[in-house]
Amino acid sequence: MDYLGQLLANGLVLGAIYALAAVAFTLVYGVVRLVNFAFGELFMLGAFLTASLMLPEVRLIGMVVPMPGFSLPVAAAGAILLTGALGVLVDRIAYRPLRNAPRLAPLITSIAVSVVLQSLAQTVWGAEELRFPEFHLATLPPVVLFDSIYLSVMDLVVMATALAAMLGLSAFIARSSLGRAMRASAEDQMAATLVGIPVNRVVAAAFAIGSGFAALAGLLYAQTYGFAHSSMGFLPGLKALTAAVLGGIGSIPGAALGGLILGLVEALGSGYLPNGTAWKDAISFVLLVGLLYLRPQGLLGKPELNSAGRGSLLGGASEFGAGWLRAAFAKVDGGLARAAAAGPRAALALLAVAILVGLLVPSDYWLRILTMVVIYGMLASGLNVIVGFAGLLDLGFVAFWAVGSYLTSILFVLVLKDQFGVAPADIWWLLYLNLPLAGLLAAGFAVILGTPTLRLRGDYLAIMTLGFGEIVRVVAINWMDLTNGPMGIRGIPAPNLFGIALGSPRAQFFFALALAVLVVFAIARLVRSYVGRAWVAIREDEEAAEAMGVPTARYKLYAYAASGFVGGFVGVFYAHTQQYISPLNFSLFENILLLMLVVLGGLGTFIGPFIGALIWIVFLQLALDLPFVQAYPETRFALLGIVLIVLMVFRPQGLAASARVALTMPGTRPAKAKEAA
Amino acid sequence: MSAPSPAPLLEARAITVRFGGLEAVGNLDMAIARNAIHGLIGPNGAGKTTVLNVLTGFISPTEGQLVFDGAEIGGLGVNGFARRGLARTFQNIRLFGAMTVLESVLVGAHQRFSANALSLVFARRSARAAERAMIARAYELLEFVGLGADVADRVATTLSYGHQRRVEIARALISSPKLLLLDEPLAGMNAVEKAEIADLVRQVRAQGIAVLLIEHDMQVVRRLCDHLTVLEYGRKLADGPPEQVLADPAVQAAYLGRAR
Repeated sequence: MDYLGQLLANGLVLGAIYALAAVAFTLVYGVVRLVNFAFGELFMLGAFLTASLMLPEVRLIGMVVPMPGFSLPVAAAGAILLTGALGVLVDRIAYRPLRNAPRLAPLITSIAVSVVLQSLAQTVWGAEELRFPEFHLATLPPVVLFDSIYLSVMDLVVMATALAAMLGLSAFIARSSLGRAMRASAEDQMAATLVGIPVNRVVAAAFAIGSGFAALAGLLYAQTYGFAHSSMGFLPGLKALTAAVLGGIGSIPGAALGGLILGLVEALGSGYLPNGTAWKDAISFVLLVGLLYLRPQGLLGKPELNSAGRGSLLGGASEFGAGWLRAAFAKVDGGLARAAAAGPRAALALLAVAILVGLLVPSDYWLRILTMVVIYGMLASGLNVIVGFAGLLDLGFVAFWAVGSYLTSILFVLVLKDQFGVAPADIWWLLYLNLPLAGLLAAGFAVILGTPTLRLRGDYLAIMTLGFGEIVRVVAINWMDLTNGPMGIRGIPAPNLFGIALGSPRAQFFFALALAVLVVFAIARLVRSYVGRAWVAIREDEEAAEAMGVPTARYKLYAYAASGFVGGFVGVFYAHTQQYISPLNFSLFENILLLMLVVLGGLGTFIGPFIGALIWIVFLQLALDLPFVQAYPETRFALLGIVLIVLMVFRPQGLAASARVALTMPGTRPAKAKEAA
Repeated sequence: MSAPSPAPLLEARAITVRFGGLEAVGNLDMAIARNAIHGLIGPNGAGKTTVLNVLTGFISPTEGQLVFDGAEIGGLGVNGFARRGLARTFQNIRLFGAMTVLESVLVGAHQRFSANALSLVFARRSARAAERAMIARAYELLEFVGLGADVADRVATTLSYGHQRRVEIARALISSPKLLLLDEPLAGMNAVEKAEIADLVRQVRAQGIAVLLIEHDMQVVRRLCDHLTVLEYGRKLADGPPEQVLADPAVQAAYLGRAR
């Protein structure tokens, strides 16, 4: 009973913070219908700013900067104001221009904003933890309830603050004229504009309040755990999202309830389940996935939030002038369009260039980097099948990649070498068996993951796939017997052909290139057929596709399967070329990076994923020559995020958009029609 | 024009659709004969599009039964209806953005393809032949609906309004449906275009495909349709040959107002 009581008390403290964060999340969602993935970063900034303002001096970008050394309440107020202002700024720059764009565009910018803020925070405050200064209330003796449940005074302060903030916000929304305007804008922005509500200002206010609340939740969290860190917002951000979805996204009482439930479930789960603390994060994601499956609208939400507007993924051209950008791209577009029209000849020419590069590049270092370009290009191509062609935003793709990598590593190292003492060189052929095998296994996995998502659309789909990806990662970390856990698997043999080790970077580059030819060829053949047409039709208008006799559910699963197959297939090679894998290789960030590469290059094109990978990975290396980047390597990720935001606003279709893919089989057009066309 | 065949192509029996407390369609009986051009008319808000959505599987009726070509088709799902031979167009044109005209029309032929993934990846002869045949058919249909082969490679949504409607009809026809359902195919068209589309509808029927159309222009309806169903407030007001239905005082009252 004492144990249970203590767990409940801990759960309440955690739940109060989650509830606060979830309320902030839901407020913004309710008004602008945007899942703000940058939310966790605002949470993190709240913590950093408060801690910095409380200290006498802080190291910022390596320089010691004197700080005012405020007490917690003053510092907290300052941090909340600053973060609120930042939220408004982010909305103005990254979200407002996309208010009328298709839903995927603001979702991607919000992911980009999250990457930018996190990288910048790491640049400013460094990669180490910043100890959260102690507040004098924290030194008071704990309060003891029922003789055995200990709650620190700060825990009580946290709960009281969260409760007061939520009640205050509810009263504000219900009573004030700005609150009424928010509710009106949430119902119907167009109608709100017509009756004279300044919707843009109302949205800015929602962002200010939401971001301020995120900062408050973040500083309370950091205060409770005693530190601030640039990546600390990631999991709580996901938890806030989970809590908001749990309660029914858009509903403020729902979010508060969802936060409390999540806090309690996590506390009880880590207390009672065997090895519960390790599985704590998986518990909340299982809860999220199960809930989205059974009741997508959440406990108190409205079902219509599950619907996504029709229309293209990102929209064709930007609604913003940007003549200079169009002029800059005119040549590229012309060239790509001509190349796309040339079809197989252009592809062969490109392959010839790649082969020449592979033969002529003298440095092993650059060959390794080019191999990574090809690997990431292939992975991005796999993701492109589901996101670019079928239009389903999949944030769990890394799981398929992980399945392939782990399958081959477990077979080669943990089973055959460690259990049976078989030398990898004696069973070199197993790699070639593993490639299709892992592809099929990952495809099966993809179908299993895809099935419960069939009813979901838009944002909910992204959240559910994200949940799946995280579950797979938590399993990879914690299922020690199968995966070796966080230590990872070492000594994976390099590829080998008929006893000849393909260990040299040049050999591996050509190996990767050969696989890429297979991958692109197979994807292209599927896309340029009735299957690809069904995928694109689903992306553009699911209902109309259904009315044309396309069994959309089945074709979504085909897209998952094809995408999973590529992930598993490439994962096998990835493991053998890296020779070491651990769960860190398959984080959500990798998935986001792949998504950014596809978007950068151009969703729904064959060449786009490779262009994105080439630009990014080569830049990643070249930038290392700059002294500033050497000191602050994270700034490169901030730059990628900024490029993506600019791209979303001015050229949402991506760099290689004009390499439009034809959706009919090559060589099946009647000769007469060709002349006419 | 009395059809000798007693069994209608599509029979809706006692269809009722309720949205919450609102009854959009009430106890509707309707039969569409084989080889008919059947008009579904009624004042705005009478429930015409709701009925069309029921007949194409978009809305499951709260009560009632649908029998198509001799078989009960309730609960098949939208694509199941399409596979049985019901093809439709939309009141507000719904072509696939970013697809060319040819590709859009080919989506309508989806159910005619059956090649498996391996046949597609290796471009087996059978898969190529099916593709070639459907592309040839798509060109025929583009010509049939009055579009030249030169539009085939244009992005469908960049065409003029009237041409987009024709692409939609071609996309519906390529599935070789038994019944074509057109939701206000003449909306926003001038007299010449209306006459052309009306002619097109007659040609469709001449190929043995029954047509159900929702239309407001009574001139066209009178000349084009051989059977009318009139809806008002979700209930059937009249049903029969056009001359008889349009002469019905109740129908005239529904269109001209209640001052009887």
